[in-house]
Amino acid sequence: MVVTQKGAILAAEEGTEKGILNFIKQALSQGCFDAVLIPVRVPAGDSFAYFLIRNEAIFERASPLPPVMPVQGARAISSLTRRGKGKKRIVAIMRPCEARATIELAKLGQVDLENIILTTVDCPGVIPLSDYFENSEKGDEIFKDTSQKWNSKPMRPVCRICDKFSATGGEDLHIGTLGTKSGSILLIPHSSKGESILSKLGISLKEDISGWADKVNKLTEERKRERDQANDALRADIEGVDRLVEAFSACINCHNCMRVCPICYCRQCSFDSDKMKFTFEDYFTRAEARGRLMVPTDTLLFHIGRMLHMSLSCVSCGMCEDACPMAIPVAQIFAVVGDRNQEAFDYVPGRSMDEPLPLTTFDEEEFLEVEQSYTGVSSQQEGQNA
Amino acid sequence: MPKVLRINKGSEEGLKELLRFLLENGKVKGVLTLRKMGEYGAISYSLITNPDDIDSTLPLFPLMPVNLGKQLSLLTLMGPAADPIAVVLRPCELRAFVELVKRTQGSLENILFISSTCAGVYPLEMAVEGNIGEHLPQYWKAVEQGEVIPDIRLACQACEYFVPYTADITVSLLSNKGIDKETTLFLNTDKGEISVEGISGQLSEEGLDSAAIEQMRNKREAEKQKLSDKVETKTLGIDDLTKTFSRCIDCHNCSKVCPICYCHVCFFNTKDSEHGPFYYETELEKMGYVSMLSDTIFYHLVRLFHVSASCVGCGLCADVCPANIPLWAISLKMGAAVQQAFDYLPGKDIEEGLPFTTFAPEEFAGIE
Repeated sequence: MVVTQKGAILAAEEGTEKGILNFIKQALSQGCFDAVLIPVRVPAGDSFAYFLIRNEAIFERASPLPPVMPVQGARAISSLTRRGKGKKRIVAIMRPCEARATIELAKLGQVDLENIILTTVDCPGVIPLSDYFENSEKGDEIFKDTSQKWNSKPMRPVCRICDKFSATGGEDLHIGTLGTKSGSILLIPHSSKGESILSKLGISLKEDISGWADKVNKLTEERKRERDQANDALRADIEGVDRLVEAFSACINCHNCMRVCPICYCRQCSFDSDKMKFTFEDYFTRAEARGRLMVPTDTLLFHIGRMLHMSLSCVSCGMCEDACPMAIPVAQIFAVVGDRNQEAFDYVPGRSMDEPLPLTTFDEEEFLEVEQSYTGVSSQQEGQNA
Repeated sequence: MPKVLRINKGSEEGLKELLRFLLENGKVKGVLTLRKMGEYGAISYSLITNPDDIDSTLPLFPLMPVNLGKQLSLLTLMGPAADPIAVVLRPCELRAFVELVKRTQGSLENILFISSTCAGVYPLEMAVEGNIGEHLPQYWKAVEQGEVIPDIRLACQACEYFVPYTADITVSLLSNKGIDKETTLFLNTDKGEISVEGISGQLSEEGLDSAAIEQMRNKREAEKQKLSDKVETKTLGIDDLTKTFSRCIDCHNCSKVCPICYCHVCFFNTKDSEHGPFYYETELEKMGYVSMLSDTIFYHLVRLFHVSASCVGCGLCADVCPANIPLWAISLKMGAAVQQAFDYLPGKDIEEGLPFTTFAPEEFAGIE
């Protein structure tokens, strides 16, 4: 996490949510941007959807931090800008994992950030969709109660072990709420776009925010430990092909994990293409080789393929797990794999636009130990021999 | 009157004996049925070629992880089964497959269809919770008594088409006293009769108990009425639809698991269905706001339009919906209306043309 020691403190007497909305409305009216991309309560009242808004009235239904994540915000920004940027300057209010996924999509050419001002809010997690949709009013209450105390118990399993719940540095503006005195929010800009909004509003960055930063650091360390523990525990259940087969054995091949994943952006997944359609004889030969063939076929291949394609950019948002009809702990499994892969490349998805995707860069002196296991000699030795 | 074969074993064991017999005697080269996978107890369909693996099958387990009609289509899309196989499937899965074959998405050739008078399946959610096992004793008791089982899929509770139409062999389960001691197999076709030649059991000639079937149908119809009334789609007007679909997260999983939605690329997943920034900004100018999920109702309406004539009411769409939208009830209502208008029952008869592919000059004169 990135902590600047200076920021602005803004009064929010009516609570955090209202405070954030008031700030946004004020900035909108001052022409800091032309529209706001933000979760809005749907007319039926039992869910939220990203809306692009400008009208005063609709702000009544907007929520910078709704209890659920029905759609990952990165997908919303991608819908808006993947065909090219518009003319309007838009501020997008989202959770840190949504902003990080947005930055990954920008690197993948699926988002145009030029006219977007990414704004994140400290995130206490989200309630799983299935829990929320069972009774949305109760869900609202539970979230209201637990999010204020930063009690992550009712949240998505990956939210409970999230160590990137605050600013990561890639966003233009971060809004700090963790442990702030009631009735105030912090504004911390991370780019010139963010800074220019505050200067236009005459908000100076003189306040000492180290108290907030300490709390964020403390919780980050705590969560890191919990994450490592959870990963280690799950790793024991999924390591090796047999265990992996078992872990995914309930998969019905619906590919909904891919469909809701903010990183899986392909219009046509190879696993849904004609390449994955085989003749009856092919299937039958495979069945005969082992005496049986699970139908639907190729489920594990799909998951491993997806893992290979997106685990370096996985932001651990947990959408996949929420959308799985068979409650396979997809997001937790991907956290185990993603963390290890990202660490190997010293890469944090969404940390910075300036960090290129690991698989698009080549470093001659990289992974020598892997090379050695194939050739028996390290490239250093090779150099000496020559 | 069809021939009936009785095997002196409980229905599941008797059916497994039949499957083993078919494989061991080379009558089929493979068997496609439900099987328990690994120790977590996940239950999935498997294509089995080794007779020893029949022991681990659960052909009558009340769960439908996928619609087997859709899977059969994937297996036979590139050409018919080269070797004969036996498939154990539920009436709605069989009907779905027949609908897919009508759309040239599969082939019936070389497949021995074994179905049953179907009491319904439990929701996927219960498989996830892992407590179907506890429910089994009461499930089978209710099957014998011919009762509507309360905690099965809502689509199953409301299903009137529990007797298979085109199965070669039908296992009689519903309202059949003694299913735990004896397996009753109706041999509906020559193929069915020939396949069991040589198995030990008692042959006779009789029909399904039509009074019991009628009684069951009445119970299901009453249940359907009751359940439909509960769902907030009484009028299917635009206000109700807006309300019902407002939770939709646009994942399209209802289409993905639907046996009738066979398109390799759905229009709603193509570039043509995407909006550019111009659209969003114009709407924003006009209305002051625009939803990023603006086309979800459009998607559902088009899907209903595309599948309703062939919807078999399997209920998978509702089971996989992350937003708990009662899709089964909406499909059922639309399906019933469209199917009634065309006097068409999906999957009943392979010879019957799809309503939208046939033209009758004297049709719908009222609308004209």
